[in-house]
Amino acid sequence: MPHRLVYLDNAATTFPKPPKVLEAMFSKYAELGVSPGRGSYDLAVQAGDAVAEARQKVARFFGALDPDRVIFAANATDALNLASHGLLRPGDHVVSTVLEHNSVLRPLHHFRERGWISYDLAPCNGQGFVDPAEIAARIQPNTRLVVVTHASNVLGTVQPIQEIGRRCAERAVPLLVDVSQSAGIIPLDMAASHVSAIAFTGHKSLFGPTGIGGLVIHPNLDVQASRFGGTGIDSRELAHTPTFPHRLEAGTINLMGILGLSAGLDYILDRGLADIHHHEIQLLTRLRDGLADMTHVEMYCASSLADHVAVLTLNVQDLNPEDAGAILDADFDIAVRVGLHCAPLVHRQIGTLHRGAVRFSPGLFNTSEDIDRAIEALASLSGPA
Amino acid sequence: MAEEPSRAAQFPELGRVSRAFAGREIFFDLEGFFWEAKDWDEEIATILTRESGLAELTEIHWKVLRFLREYYFYHGRAPLNRHLKQGTGLNLQALETLFPGGIRLGARRLAGLPNPKSCF
Repeated sequence: MPHRLVYLDNAATTFPKPPKVLEAMFSKYAELGVSPGRGSYDLAVQAGDAVAEARQKVARFFGALDPDRVIFAANATDALNLASHGLLRPGDHVVSTVLEHNSVLRPLHHFRERGWISYDLAPCNGQGFVDPAEIAARIQPNTRLVVVTHASNVLGTVQPIQEIGRRCAERAVPLLVDVSQSAGIIPLDMAASHVSAIAFTGHKSLFGPTGIGGLVIHPNLDVQASRFGGTGIDSRELAHTPTFPHRLEAGTINLMGILGLSAGLDYILDRGLADIHHHEIQLLTRLRDGLADMTHVEMYCASSLADHVAVLTLNVQDLNPEDAGAILDADFDIAVRVGLHCAPLVHRQIGTLHRGAVRFSPGLFNTSEDIDRAIEALASLSGPA
Repeated sequence: MAEEPSRAAQFPELGRVSRAFAGREIFFDLEGFFWEAKDWDEEIATILTRESGLAELTEIHWKVLRFLREYYFYHGRAPLNRHLKQGTGLNLQALETLFPGGIRLGARRLAGLPNPKSCF
């Protein structure tokens, strides 16, 4: 008898989505699915209102000062590109970390390859945390931006953003935080943490659909437009409007994604972030403890799960991670993510750049039984003869 | 009889290496996967098998290789994990131990399928 799929790839995207979120998204889109904020007929105004309401929710959720500085984008990568293209100028310097996803590293690399910017990366310690002092030490007079992930998508470690923010504020350097893995689990208040901008995606722990994310910016941060087009305002002018949020939103926005994101925010606020985090960490602890005595399983940076999101990366001795993922899928109906997780420098640091690793990321809808099935499966895995 | 790859025959800028098999020049990527699935034949598979440390391919090995190739050419891609299990009648843990190198670097490579470009 086939098993129910045990989905342990929530760090890639949460699945399944709460039915309540899907129902709210579909029904609102069925009701309001016109071009928001473009027409003067009632339905277009109402669709615009729904978008404005979503901006307000996002602003409140992240402690942002101005809902008009909530910029909707396709995902966190898109938002990070908006930020880097809109902020960096030739001669600028950037400080980031080895924990970053390619969504941060590749734009920086792209700019550096063209000779436009330079950057330095702060290391993480053996437990997967970046010391704020390592970031501060790399700030130069021409440092225009510090970019840090809130939670590593490989190690699950939550970085000390408040202290990093304090040090950036002391040096008057804007801090951009990638909250892809933490939003919806670990609260982040931009104002309290001296954060100038955050890039988020909607489809992970905010429980929205894929294709929606955003950039939230402090009013003092002057992010220039890097794409241009129709905005529904200032249409007489050929120059793109400088008014937020339209300055950074060219073209018709993803209304269904925004409605889904809005419903996702309602869902997690109703459920409670602390409750969600507690549940996921309980599962992660069960997994970590269940694997602790397996000498053929090597776990990375999991000796303490304090300041973690529910991500555990490991390898099974002699077993290619891709094969491990295939066996878990076909033989045990367990879905995990293998490879480098688009974060090559983390893998270099933990010594897995040559082979990758297997990532388990339990989510809100996993159970203890799911974790026990994963432990049982891992106990039986072995490499080629 | 296979000839050793010569450095002069390598094309690192393209990420591929050529080897001669019975007068035929065959290209592989740097992980040893066939550049072109159509270049595969049973004789080359047998040579590569010996190089991988397995003395010979048994009927069960051939069954796996033939299934992989037939599936690939019919569907235009490698089988899903569950199709591989159904099609070979083997669970994937058993398949892993059947080939030196396991599923990806063993069975799939010896079957001449292209290198799966996953998140690497």
